[in-house]
Amino acid sequence: MNQKIKIDTVIRAGLMVLCMMLFSAVTPAVAGDTLNYRLKWLFNTSVAGDIIADTGGFFKNAGLDVSVNEGGAGKNAIKELELGYANFGVASADQVIRALEKGADVVVLAQLFQVNPMQWIYRSDQPEIKGLSDLKGRHIGVTFGGNDETIMNTLLAKAGLTSKDVRISSVRFDFTPFLKKEVDVWPVYRNSQGVILEDRLAAEGEQVKFFNPADYGVSFVANSVVTSGTMMKKHPETVKAFMTALLSAWEFAVNPANESQVLAQIKKKDKGTKDDIRQKQLKATRPLIKPDKGTKIGTIDVRAWQQTERIMVKEQQIMAPVDVTSRLVGPKKQS
Amino acid sequence: MRFECRGLTFTYPEADNPVLENLSFSMAAPGFNAVFGPSGVGKTSFARILAGGNSGPGGNALIYEGISTILYSYNQERLPGWANTGSHLEKVCPPKNSDLRKELVKIFKVDSLLGSRFSQLSMGQQNRMNLIRYLIQNFDLLILDESLANVDEALRETIILAIKEMFPTKLFLYISHNLMEVARFCKDILVLSRPGKNKGAVVVQGQNYETGYTADPQAIDRSLLEIMNAV
Amino acid sequence: MLFRRIYQFLIVYCLGVVGLLTVKYAAGLSNYVIPGLALIFDTAHRMLAGYFLDVLNTLSVTVLGQMISIFMAFFVGIIGRKSSWAGSFIKVMAYNIQAYPIVALAPIIFILLGDGFLSRLLIASMICYFPLLLSVLGIMASPIKDIEHFYIATGRMRWQLEVKIRAFENLNKLTTVIAGSATLAMAGTIVAEFIAADQGIGYSIRIALYQSDLARILVALFSIGIIISVYQGILETVGEQMKTKWFAPKGGDLI
Repeated sequence: MNQKIKIDTVIRAGLMVLCMMLFSAVTPAVAGDTLNYRLKWLFNTSVAGDIIADTGGFFKNAGLDVSVNEGGAGKNAIKELELGYANFGVASADQVIRALEKGADVVVLAQLFQVNPMQWIYRSDQPEIKGLSDLKGRHIGVTFGGNDETIMNTLLAKAGLTSKDVRISSVRFDFTPFLKKEVDVWPVYRNSQGVILEDRLAAEGEQVKFFNPADYGVSFVANSVVTSGTMMKKHPETVKAFMTALLSAWEFAVNPANESQVLAQIKKKDKGTKDDIRQKQLKATRPLIKPDKGTKIGTIDVRAWQQTERIMVKEQQIMAPVDVTSRLVGPKKQS
Repeated sequence: MRFECRGLTFTYPEADNPVLENLSFSMAAPGFNAVFGPSGVGKTSFARILAGGNSGPGGNALIYEGISTILYSYNQERLPGWANTGSHLEKVCPPKNSDLRKELVKIFKVDSLLGSRFSQLSMGQQNRMNLIRYLIQNFDLLILDESLANVDEALRETIILAIKEMFPTKLFLYISHNLMEVARFCKDILVLSRPGKNKGAVVVQGQNYETGYTADPQAIDRSLLEIMNAV
Repeated sequence: MLFRRIYQFLIVYCLGVVGLLTVKYAAGLSNYVIPGLALIFDTAHRMLAGYFLDVLNTLSVTVLGQMISIFMAFFVGIIGRKSSWAGSFIKVMAYNIQAYPIVALAPIIFILLGDGFLSRLLIASMICYFPLLLSVLGIMASPIKDIEHFYIATGRMRWQLEVKIRAFENLNKLTTVIAGSATLAMAGTIVAEFIAADQGIGYSIRIALYQSDLARILVALFSIGIIISVYQGILETVGEQMKTKWFAPKGGDLI
């Protein structure tokens, strides 16, 4: 009898714990709580503005308690928004579009990268890529399944080339095939890996060039700040305060006058990178975030978003258009 | 042929007290002799020390004269299971002992079991099959540690008498808990008592009956009494 | 055995999917976070055939990797069984290398062997080799005294006989370990493909992860589960047949 009661108690307790876990997993944070901001990748110079917003007191001054959390492989800000683990996040345009296709309630508040940092590096002793047709005959690295594959396919199609006109190799996590000159044109994030590779090859007396798809009419949008439609509707003031503070922090971060202060703050979070590399990375990040003085940081390039959506439909990354423009709620680029 | 033990003391590495203490006796060989004693007295330890010969833990306390090959067989030994018992017996039988093997198979009443795997046999059948393996080897001294356990009494008697008849030039040391059996069929009976009883080892004469014997109840009683007194 | 493996897997898989769907509908999550049944079926319709081929590709490396591991484990296990120093050295080495995450060793492997077939094979073998080795070492280093005594006492013991006795007496354990190591070899191959390969199911999973497509991952897991169940079932059946043949009351070979 006693044993039966004990078993019942254990089962009930187990069910309660399960319910609590489910409840806590899906209950969105309410205003007044700590706001969780999930970045797309690890703390490094690419997220200078996000770091400054936190450590530079921009969020605090706006009366917000924000926890800025590192991203990484397997972390997905949009999923976390829906699960209630995050209130704001950074996601790439393809993530946003895929999420919309599957019914996620996500809106875009700002487009952080005006220029996609996903570019290709090649050695200067190779013939310069002046036009897309110059890709013909090159040995190009792509990450199968990654954005760079989609972008490269679009570039090749635009140039009227097929996969037979170039040699494509799968890119893995290290640069060895490029360093060993097995692959000529290698995809990198211009402001992080690009800087490191450029530096490493310079040490061996080799110069490099970068091939930027945007220069050839392919603007595939990269990282943007997102939140859920519910958050936008229920807490518009919080959203506004958050975005104002964040974008001000980014303005501060990319201002060359604040370089030493910004680098010092980044160093606290990213101890593994050498000082001179960090400095070069920040320098490379600036034109991606704020290409010219007139560009307001975070401006959404609607045309680029539309192009991104079209490319994804064409490359069968999504089955049908999702009308992404209807979810772009931040300030837009005047055309 | 002679076998003597002079002041044998043995303690297991992790034990506090010796299992055998200052054991001294001698046995004239050949013959079907026995080691008798209550459970836990160290019979099996003693048997294993003997099996180790001079190079074993017994060292120089053991003196073997005319005994070079010592084998030790024990209850619960197993034959490998991948072939039938007949195949195993054939495989381990020296060619010159082939007829001996066939004869023993008949006497031990296992001829109908040669096509079976060892695990399919009863415990008594397993012990008989195992003992045949040893008897067809070349040996001078064979220690039988409960080697006929679980065999019915009549067959055990047949087997013991057959062994005595067939191997008159060999020395056997039969370890058994069956007091009556030991008293009737064994020649010299080494009776072990627990260390500390100050009795040491006593060798009692058994009746050493052979095939066609006539039992003498009084003589048997005498042997039994001697053994009981020695324990 | 084979069918039991498959339906056991189907039960576990269905329970997992039902659990996910329960969370999805209880919390009102979109298909992006947890795909609905319709999306899973639609994805399965599109991807399942391709994924099955991918898993078969992975399985081919797995089988080869596992065979190499079994051979190596027996080779080292048999050599290391006698000497306590060599045995303990091999054990310590096996424990240590097992403790290294394969993702940390992978770059060295890829630099040395490139990111093709050999790297996949090596990583698959490494992941299933060490647990196999420990089991084989354990079995080969443990005497079966009640059988071996006779052969030692009569001077008949040879290393082949010793290995045969110990393997036979532990046949159940060995077949279980070998069948179990199939999953390890499969996991190893998938990890290798996930890190750096352009074929196999691990590579397909990586793409699905890039695209945050849980439906594809569920379909991939289904393909892996079915095929590994069949493979393990076959291994177990072969093991059973071996046992039946060895334990058969008649017709056994002589030692």
